[in-house]
Amino acid sequence: MTSMQTPLHNITLPASVSDAGVVMREDKFRGHLNLRGNPQDAAFTDAVAQVLGVALPLAPNTSAEQGSTRIYWLCPNEWLLLVAEGTQGQVEADLRAALAHQHIAVTDLSSGQTLVNLSGAKLDELMMKSAVYDCHASNFPVGKVVQTTFAKAGATIYKCEDGSFDLVIRRSFSDYFFLWLKDASKEYGLSVI
Amino acid sequence: MLHIYCPYCEEMREEEEFSYAGEAHIARPLDPESLTDAQWGDYVFFRTNPRGLHHEMWNHAAGCRRYFNVTRDTQTYVIHETYKMGEQPSVTGEKP
Ligand SMILES: [Zn+2]
Repeated sequence: MTSMQTPLHNITLPASVSDAGVVMREDKFRGHLNLRGNPQDAAFTDAVAQVLGVALPLAPNTSAEQGSTRIYWLCPNEWLLLVAEGTQGQVEADLRAALAHQHIAVTDLSSGQTLVNLSGAKLDELMMKSAVYDCHASNFPVGKVVQTTFAKAGATIYKCEDGSFDLVIRRSFSDYFFLWLKDASKEYGLSVI
Repeated sequence: MLHIYCPYCEEMREEEEFSYAGEAHIARPLDPESLTDAQWGDYVFFRTNPRGLHHEMWNHAAGCRRYFNVTRDTQTYVIHETYKMGEQPSVTGEKP
């Protein structure tokens, strides 16, 4: 087994602050799978629900969750599956077996992107600076998922139950993302946990 | 900045999430071999470039990454409608 490094492995941690307004936590090594198929085909949606234990979200900008599996709606025929670390190979194999002979695609993106959680008392202010999308609670309820930009780089933003945001960011943009985050949260204090 | 309604995400989004993709409803010739150079050149290069209503394609590049159609006024930038691929515009400027 080769040792794994997260895309954010070489960041320089900020000096610790006692009352940081922004807190970042990377959800390292989650399994990321992209799934495509026809949502109008019950054979597809039923088989996926059977494998994942939860039905695919079909409404725009919605999500579904079951245990350590979370599903993001990406477009009418495309979803992102976030699964527990190390299980993505098995989930992919199970999906391929259940969807044999169907017109589908399953792609393992785990090493191409990472999941970062942002929270803290100054989260709203940080999101206002960083995202063109309106991330205020009145427009962004718990469970909503939005593909948009964060500091002009692509990001998939999800609102967690505790009010924090989970961001899926590209591996190739992770250094840039962190440098932006460090700079943008300077006035609030940043803590990395 | 334009606010554009994505017919797939079913929401207004910022222009920053989109990229422009040229004139809409240009059908690819079914039999290119039978075209003259002038006809092929017209298909590949020449666009209507109207002053006023224009049907054009946009890509929700930072969002759902789908292409869709927009009816926009090139003079005022007013977007009259957006609609999915394969659909026809309802705002055409033609008098009923
Ligand atoms: Zn969209």
